[in-house]
Amino acid sequence: MSGGTADAPTDLIEDYLDRLLVSLSGSPRQVRHTLAEVEAHLRDAVAEGIAAGLPEETAQVQALERIGPVHAVTGRPAGLARPSAALLRRLTLTAALVGGAGFVAIGGAGLVGRLLQVLKGNLFMTTPFPPGTYTQADCARWLAGDPGTRACVTAMLADHAFDYLLQATACGLLGLAGLAAYLFLRRRWSDRATATALPAGTAQGLGAILAGIAAVACFGQVAGLETVQRGVGVGEPLSLGIAATVAAAAFALALRRCLRTARMRTT
Amino acid sequence: MKAEKLKGHLDLLLLSVLSRGPGHGYEVITRLKVRSGGAFQLPEGTVYPALHRLEDAGLLASGWDVVAGRRRRIYHLTAAGEAALAEQAAQWREFSGSMARVLGSAIPALATAGGMA
Repeated sequence: MSGGTADAPTDLIEDYLDRLLVSLSGSPRQVRHTLAEVEAHLRDAVAEGIAAGLPEETAQVQALERIGPVHAVTGRPAGLARPSAALLRRLTLTAALVGGAGFVAIGGAGLVGRLLQVLKGNLFMTTPFPPGTYTQADCARWLAGDPGTRACVTAMLADHAFDYLLQATACGLLGLAGLAAYLFLRRRWSDRATATALPAGTAQGLGAILAGIAAVACFGQVAGLETVQRGVGVGEPLSLGIAATVAAAAFALALRRCLRTARMRTT
Repeated sequence: MKAEKLKGHLDLLLLSVLSRGPGHGYEVITRLKVRSGGAFQLPEGTVYPALHRLEDAGLLASGWDVVAGRRRRIYHLTAAGEAALAEQAAQWREFSGSMARVLGSAIPALATAGGMA
């Protein structure tokens, strides 16, 4: 096993052959033979481009354009191709990173929510149930949880705000576990086939998009509550919106760094 | 010519190219381009599954050799491949002859109709 390849500059031909290797089916001998003849083909095409005066990288790009996508060589339509082990590993890493960071962001929203609760109170955090939609037993339960209060609505608001903060904290802890799993698996699956199974920055781009959509949805809800309820219950979507915005910005920065690194490796 | 149009004729083209002598994949593609005057452009990768399919069918055979410093798989036509080529070429000539006759009779009529409009 060659441990040095992970740090070597990116070779587009090598990356293509990695993808081909994990996509080919057949006996080990058939796979070896196809890989060898396609590599000879690509090296010939690159040598031809260089002989025609092209820089090596351009010659590689042209050779890959001419040979076509990996599924052209495997003879299987891309949509029907069996997902490779490398692709499954990369998808698992993507899910762990995006999911983990997403849940950590919800945990962060809990911290922001706690701050808003201290500054603005429970009525800002959560909307009370309309009168008539809860029972005396509900009231008794809420009041039991907040012995210093005599008003049912006040106890209800405190209960709901506490629930929100508790759930956000649980999500944050789950997110930390997801990120820990991501770091562990990334070290375990550091092979090049896994690293190149999806384009560079896929996870970061996906995270930025999802967090951005969540931020827009949350701030939209904030605007609606401000208009309809004059600020009552704004705290929950506001804290989630702030956390989603921070997550989207962090993912966007990570995406930029990732793309810059990938570009530097190809030049 | 678009790759889609070539797909149904790729086997015949490959057999024909290899009937002029053995060759490796890249060489086969280069010969195909040269002999078609650059008209046949298809993703080069699609040639490999076709070559392998023809080999599985017993129409081609292959062996490994070192050419220009690289280890290459050289394909050549088998006796069954020569027979298949002769048969498919005859079918193609018959088909293209029929097409030419139909188109040949249609084109003056089309030209006349275009001129009247």
